[in-house]
This record gives sequence, structure tokens and C-alpha cells, in this order.
Amino acid sequence: MLRQIKPRNARSKRALEKRAPKAVENPKTALILRGTTCSQITQDALADLYALRQVHAKRFQKKNPVHPFEDASSLAFFSEKNDCSLLLFGSSSKKRPHSITFVRTFDYKILDMLEFYLDGETFRSLAQFKTEKVPVGTRPLMVFAGTAFESPVPNAFTMAKSMLIDFFRGEISDKIDVEGLRYCVVVTADEPTASETTTTEDDPSSKPVLRLRVYTIRTQRSGQKLPRVELEEHGPRMDFRLGRMQEPDAGMLKEAMRQAKTGQERTRKNVQTDIMGDKIGRIHTGKLDLSELQTRKMKGLKRERDQHLDDDEAATAVETELPKRQRKAQA
Amino acid sequence: MSTAAPKTPKLPVTVDKPTPYNFDLGLLLANDPNPVSVPRTTTASSDPSILESHLANVARDGAQVLINQLLTTCAITSTSSGVLLSLPHAQTPLPREKPVPAPKPETKWSAFAKRRGIKPKTREQRRNLQYDEATGEFGRKWGYQGANKAGQDDAIIEVKFNSKKEAERKEGTTVRGDKRREIREKVKRNERRMRKNQRHSEGRK
Repeated sequence: MLRQIKPRNARSKRALEKRAPKAVENPKTALILRGTTCSQITQDALADLYALRQVHAKRFQKKNPVHPFEDASSLAFFSEKNDCSLLLFGSSSKKRPHSITFVRTFDYKILDMLEFYLDGETFRSLAQFKTEKVPVGTRPLMVFAGTAFESPVPNAFTMAKSMLIDFFRGEISDKIDVEGLRYCVVVTADEPTASETTTTEDDPSSKPVLRLRVYTIRTQRSGQKLPRVELEEHGPRMDFRLGRMQEPDAGMLKEAMRQAKTGQERTRKNVQTDIMGDKIGRIHTGKLDLSELQTRKMKGLKRERDQHLDDDEAATAVETELPKRQRKAQA
Repeated sequence: MSTAAPKTPKLPVTVDKPTPYNFDLGLLLANDPNPVSVPRTTTASSDPSILESHLANVARDGAQVLINQLLTTCAITSTSSGVLLSLPHAQTPLPREKPVPAPKPETKWSAFAKRRGIKPKTREQRRNLQYDEATGEFGRKWGYQGANKAGQDDAIIEVKFNSKKEAERKEGTTVRGDKRREIREKVKRNERRMRKNQRHSEGRK
């Protein structure tokens, strides 16, 4: 509904252009908000995620009476109003303590949702680690470890991975300063054990734990060409169990996965340039018909005489027959 | 594992894992498909430091491999502002936030221009300035003292009798002001076409 406004001045025109669909998209803005009940631990976790996501994030302070898995329409409204396509909704209840719901939108409509239940005991906030903090806007390295992320069929873990990549990827650029490789986000998934797989699917405690750790990177001279990497924990430290999820609608996902056509990316097939700068093309001709090939004529390979005669006789026989029949018909 | 190396001046920089890592360097991402065998003794009740050191080992290996891969496969350029790595395009499919923009509807003119191979005018062609061969000066093409008004206000204008123009002349008009009327007519015609194109592009008749 906001799209149909016709701009009346240059400023509103610029504002509308900024949020219009683009072939190469701007980084997603994350909106961080809380429900009516939200534990202090969840609020601290949200504050840390907000700090890591700075510049491309907005944060609401007031309480919102929203239950994402019952009615997510107000989240879609917030998404449209603030032009945010990644929402983090924190809430806490007796049944679902310390829950952070990741919500992604496409075209201001809910695409998918996934609940992350934070482990309150093991949670350590950013401020609890006394290390030097990385500057705002630095892109992290990302490491996803564990077999759970490698599932060929989409499940909660692949969705969690996709969402966390979306959250941490930052501003995509084709060049990066080596000095900017400052910190590393590592997400590990525990191995599902036999006893855990047999229990019911719905129980979140049966699923393997997702561990999010953030480390700063220090490189040392190793005496070789490549440096030796050492890590120091930067914080926050979060352990999650995955809860309810809403999978994306197939049609909507297909639209969302579409790539804009940009000309320069395509590789030209069959055309190469050699070291002299000459252009070499490889062309495909049809299959050569070797039966028609003109070879050297030899006496021995000539067509046989008697066969030739037979053919002629047959032809003459047909010729002579026809008039006979005609003659009969006329008689 | 690489951390359990003897005390030598050369620090190990390689990581050996049964399954190789796979990378998406455009996103600075490494996937470690090896199972993370968390020590079973370290449940929530027991010592968490064992678990943390295990996770830190996994993380260090991942970061080392990712940095090795970045430094070996990406083109490095050193500039005055620092050493820059050229990253490839990201391969991991992630959903867009808004649909792919629809292409602009083709106007009648743009369809015609495409068919005929007419290129849009260059910046120089669009400039309201042209060289006048007769006077040897640059003058305007249109507007105040524009070249399209040449001869409009001359003291004497030749009238060609028996011409088609004179035969079709409207009542009450003379040769004076003909040029002006012609320009106004062209402008109106162009505006009419523009409105028609607009209607066409919106899908109306």
C-alpha cells in the first residue's frame, strides 16, 4: 500500500526510490523488537545481536502484543513501515523461556519463521568478555560446523543456517581489506544421538544444540607464507535449541530466489583468447557423412557389370509391361 | 589435530580433516561437514570449560582454513589504503527481500527505435548549442535566438504564390508568423503522441 504513493517532491521521490525493488539489492535491515513478556536474558541477547548487526539494524524498545506463530500480520506491518526484511522477535513464557524468533519477509510478507530457544544458563553477553570489540560495520568470517547443516532436504537446521548467514553477512562487496578480517562467527551443531532421534519431533530438548560463538582473530607469523590464526572469544556466547518453524510457501520462495539478469556475469562459451591476444572460437559442424566421401578411383572397386545389367533389365521389363497392360485395357 | 604440534619455530598452518571444507568466499563462509563430537561428559552439569575448548579448537581450524583459502585463491592487490582481496560472487542462495524489478514497458517509439537500430542521442547531440558555419560562431538550436527561428522576424519575407501552402492558407493568416505557428503545431503533435504512448504503456486504448 505504501508503494502506490505518488511522490510530490524530490525528497519523497528519493525516499521511495530507496525502498523500491532493485536488481542488486541493498543489505537487509534487521528489526529487533520484543513481545509483552521478555526476560532480561532475552533482552540482553537481543541487545548483543543488535550491537553485532549495527548500521543495518533498528531496535524497538516498547512491548508489542504479538504472537508470531498465531498472527504475524503486525510483524509484516512493521516490516513494511520500517523497510526491514529480517525481524528478531524476543519473548519469554513459561512454556517457551527465552525465545528469539527469526522472521524473514519477502515483499513485506512473511516468508519464513524459526524459533531459537536460548539457553539461559550458558548465555554470556558481549560485555562479559573483556576483549577489544571489533569496529562497527566489520564483516565477520563465518564457519558452520556439524553434519546437521549439510542436510540435502530443507529442515530446521538448514533454515537456521540460512537465517544466520543472512543476519551476519553484512554489506556485500567485491573487495575486502585484509585488515578487515577481524572476527569470526562460528556456529556448531551437536551430533544427533540415537536416543535423541527416537524421541518425539516436537520436543525441542530432543534436538541437537546450536552453539553460536564469536571470536576475534589474531594472526601470527608462522615462518611460512600463510599466517597462523589464533582466536580469542569476543562474545556473545549463545546456545540455542530450535523450536517451532514456519516453512516458506513454495511459490513465494521461488519468487524470492529469483536472480536478476545482469549481463556481465555470463561467461562466453567456446570463445577464448590465446597468449598472443588472438581470439579463438570453437564451432560445431554437423556429423561428416563419410559414405559420400570421394576416394581414389580404382578399377577393382568399380561397380560390377552383371549387376548393372540386371538393373537395366528390370527397368526395361517394367517399361515394356506397362504398355502391354494398357494395350489390353484398350482392347 | 593441528594444535597438537611439537614446539618448533614453524607454527602449523594446515588443518587435516577427514571430509574437506567447502567455501563460499563471497560471503566469507566456510562449511565444516565433519561431525562435531562434543565430549559426552560435558553436559550442562559438568565442567563447561572442556566443551568451550573443544568448540574453540573447531573454530580455530575453521578460521585457519578459511583464511588460508582466502589468501591463496583470491587476487591480492596492495594499494595505499591497504591490502585488498578481490572476492568472488556469493554462491549460497539466499532469499531476496523484494521481487526482481519488472522491466519498463516498451513505448511505441522505443519499439520502433529498436527495430530500426536508432540509438539514443548523445549528450553532445542533446546540447542546445551548435556551430554556425555562416557566422563562425556557436549559437542556440532552439529557445532565445534559436536556429529554428531563423528568418522569422526578417523585414521582408518572400511569398510564393501558386504554392500548395498559399492555396491551403487559413482565413485571416499571412506569411508573417508562419514559422511560429509551425513550431507550436509540432509541439502539440508531439504532446499528443506522448499522451498516446502513456496510455499504451498503462494498457489502456
